[in-house]
Amino acid sequence: MYDFMYHFPVLAIMVLFLGAFIASLVGRRNAVIRNAVVLIAMVTSLVLILSLVKPILLEGQTITYWLSNWEPVGDWAIGISLEVDALSLFFALIVVVAVFVSGVYSFFYMDRDDSLVNYYTLFSMLSGSVLGLVLSGDLFNMFVMIEIMTFTAVALTAFRNTYEGALEGAFKYLVVGSLGSTSVLIGIALIYSQMHTLNLAQLAAMLPGYDSPVTIIAFAFLFVGFGSKAFLFPFHPLAADAHAVAPASISLMISGVLTKCGVYGIIRLAYTVYQNVDVNVMNALKSVCNPMNANFVQYFITGVGVVTMFICVTMAFNQHNFKRLLAFHSISQVGYVITVIGLGSALGLSAGLFHAMNHTIFKGLLFLTAGAVQHATGSLDLDELGGLSKKMPGTCALFLIGAASISGLPPFNGFASKWMIYQAAFQKAGETGNFFFVVVCVAALITSVLTLASFIKVAQSVFFGQLNPKFAKTREVSLGMRIPMWILAILCVVTGLFPDKVQQWLLAPATSAAMNAAGYIDAAMGQGYAASFSIPSFQPQSIFLSGAWQPVMWLLLLVSVTLAVCIVALLGSDDKAPAISETNTDTPADPKYESFFSGEASVYSQVGGSDLFWGFKHNWRHYFSFMHNWHSGVVNDYTLYGAAAIAVALVLCVIFL
Amino acid sequence: MTNLLWTMFHVLVFPGVLFCVVIGVLLAGLDRKLVARMQNRVGPPLLQPWYDFLKCCGKETIIPRHARRSLFLAAPVLGFAALITVALFVPVLSCSTYSTSADLVVILYLLTVVGVSMIVGAAASGSPFAGVGLSREMVAMISYELPFVLVILAVGRMAGATTPLGVTFSLQAIVDWQAANGSMLFHWSMIPAALAMLFVIPCEIGMHPFDIAEAETEICEGTLAEYSGPPAGLFRLTHCVKMYIMCALFCAMFLGGISTGYAALDALVVVVLSVVITFVTMSVPHAVCARFKVEQVFKFYWTVVAGLALISLILVWLGL
Repeated sequence: MYDFMYHFPVLAIMVLFLGAFIASLVGRRNAVIRNAVVLIAMVTSLVLILSLVKPILLEGQTITYWLSNWEPVGDWAIGISLEVDALSLFFALIVVVAVFVSGVYSFFYMDRDDSLVNYYTLFSMLSGSVLGLVLSGDLFNMFVMIEIMTFTAVALTAFRNTYEGALEGAFKYLVVGSLGSTSVLIGIALIYSQMHTLNLAQLAAMLPGYDSPVTIIAFAFLFVGFGSKAFLFPFHPLAADAHAVAPASISLMISGVLTKCGVYGIIRLAYTVYQNVDVNVMNALKSVCNPMNANFVQYFITGVGVVTMFICVTMAFNQHNFKRLLAFHSISQVGYVITVIGLGSALGLSAGLFHAMNHTIFKGLLFLTAGAVQHATGSLDLDELGGLSKKMPGTCALFLIGAASISGLPPFNGFASKWMIYQAAFQKAGETGNFFFVVVCVAALITSVLTLASFIKVAQSVFFGQLNPKFAKTREVSLGMRIPMWILAILCVVTGLFPDKVQQWLLAPATSAAMNAAGYIDAAMGQGYAASFSIPSFQPQSIFLSGAWQPVMWLLLLVSVTLAVCIVALLGSDDKAPAISETNTDTPADPKYESFFSGEASVYSQVGGSDLFWGFKHNWRHYFSFMHNWHSGVVNDYTLYGAAAIAVALVLCVIFL
Repeated sequence: MTNLLWTMFHVLVFPGVLFCVVIGVLLAGLDRKLVARMQNRVGPPLLQPWYDFLKCCGKETIIPRHARRSLFLAAPVLGFAALITVALFVPVLSCSTYSTSADLVVILYLLTVVGVSMIVGAAASGSPFAGVGLSREMVAMISYELPFVLVILAVGRMAGATTPLGVTFSLQAIVDWQAANGSMLFHWSMIPAALAMLFVIPCEIGMHPFDIAEAETEICEGTLAEYSGPPAGLFRLTHCVKMYIMCALFCAMFLGGISTGYAALDALVVVVLSVVITFVTMSVPHAVCARFKVEQVFKFYWTVVAGLALISLILVWLGL
């Protein structure tokens, strides 16, 4: 690694903030210059982060950068630092790619809005703050970045303030989000009062041996705080309100990037700083004799993840708004990530990171298609839309790719990561002999099929079925909006087809970095510092898969079978497939040839999106009515749930740790 | 080159397209004949499903005005291809083509792809009847998925208990375990899971008491309402092949390990077993039961059948 590369992380953050300021200075007059400034900032940070892939992810180096060269003196790291190991860079990669896609999409998607200079300023600040958060080497800077992130996100949520509910959604996000930020701040204050330092590396060295109830309480506060940034249960209603009204490009940022910050925070906290997730396989094997011996934090994190993923997927069944539905699914998928992170095995963490990455890709794609539908029709109402596949074939294809990915259908990336998730959960169950992890595995599999059902509902309500006459003049969105979507769609397929390469180049280094607390400490504080606090050095773990999945081979088989079927089909019949109605679509319909059997004239009879799965919902009506009452939409209630979450986390941590 | 030829042979002949279609059509024909005999009718000839398919192939394909043409035509082909891919992974007793890369979760999802292709095809047709049909198909899928998953986990734990990881998803490992320890079905703790799996089979295929998605009398065959000509024929063929695949999967999961040593003979044994399973799980319920309501199917599968599978899972987890 060249010396000048040590400056790359800070430069990548700085260009985005600089982009924000320059865009606001020059952008009021000239839209082209403003867009150019934002584009240059995004591309520069993308290139800077990509150039770090080789030294950090592939060669396993760690960059520690002390701002103003305030290096630690006498074992005390007081200066501001950036510490970039493979885990940080993994999340930074997710961030810069998502920012780039979202930014390019914005140029075309936001063309009908005014005061765009505010939008791009806030957008760049949001991007910079998120990147700063994942690259930061001390806890307080993480908090500062969280604050910038939350407030810019709130402002961007309300950017289209003429929308019904925009201000309301933003207000809820502001109030309850502040509760989460405050929780983080309290946690930091408690830690600082005990440890007198906020540098992550130094904390990682000192905390594990420091047996104090105060730091345990701090963990509870920090966990709830970061959890609220990932919209974990019970903070999930916020996400729905915010996503429904935010511009689609911002929905991509909130679901694809902001939630990842919460995930990153929890991983960093539980694995590196507190090291209270049991990463040692031998311990896990020992606990076969005594199933209750497994670590409490693992149960806690996994439990929160399972509850999140299941409640959110069932909530999605009741939604009438395209983006609200996507929002609940977004949180449900984050629930998957949190679930496997809690397992504490190398396979689990790899699966979690993989799913986090895939979640950004396919969820971003789905939000962008929702944005395209909104841009083309002006509506997001599932009960109103319908039959758009003929008007917007490209968007429809993209949506189907995204839907197949999130539902975990092979050969897309959602399957590859979910498949690892099932194995991680089931292997954990096998190793510990604990039935809890079997329930986790079943919940994950069932959530997956419910996700599929939910997306079938969207496909049927928006793209298939009959075209609402209201939208007869709808046109496909511009190429500039479709290209970012195609980038994400191609990523969906590529990461789904080559999961072993993703594992080798991205996941394995990031997983090792997350588990290698000693390496993280030594990189910042000097060689041997971790050993002086008796932090065990890192033992690389190999990953065993209890199943087998070779996507490329499978795809080859599928293609050859498809070819075989097509050949047989072609030989078997003169398949001209004449479409009788293709030629005369403009002429008034002859009722005889309508797509009704009875020969009656066709009326617009959309099957109501929310009632599509009546047979399923009828059996669960008590659960759904309970959920309906529980998600009251009142910000007071949501704040109460947040406060209750903090209280419960405190009580549990104090009792069990 | 020989490798490629062997792949071609596997895909096209055994255990791929030809074998599956022949056995599937025979099973479907036998099912119709058996049901007819039980209802004191004469019934169609044994090869009636094949005649139906041929007749469909000779008919015109009509594409409705509201349909999305490409998806409407691609869906049956994709579904059939995904199903044949499953056939390559499911071991025919000791003989299996790609069993080293066979995994129960993968098979579960490939079967889901088959269902989804039918749903997408129905959705692309734009008909309200198909809309109702696909929603019911999805409800049926949710219904049988839970017991299916529980059965998979129970089998995976049973076969994997002696391995270092404690569990397995690999179909080959499950078959090997049965070869060493006797068939799953003969371990008493697995009997409830086997029963649950027998209930899953007809719903997965969409056979009569559980054919809510196709209910001819209510919603004009639902998902198939707008299909005609070769695509409709392909869907019907998929239905037949699925009968065989599910029976073979049951054999692999619960009756593995009874190998004769000869591939051809093994295949024959599987066929005979498939006939028995077809009779027990499909023909008899078809002849005796009236169609369930939509919400009844869901309730039945998530309480009774899932309960059976759960009993096995807990017993296995306790080491019994």
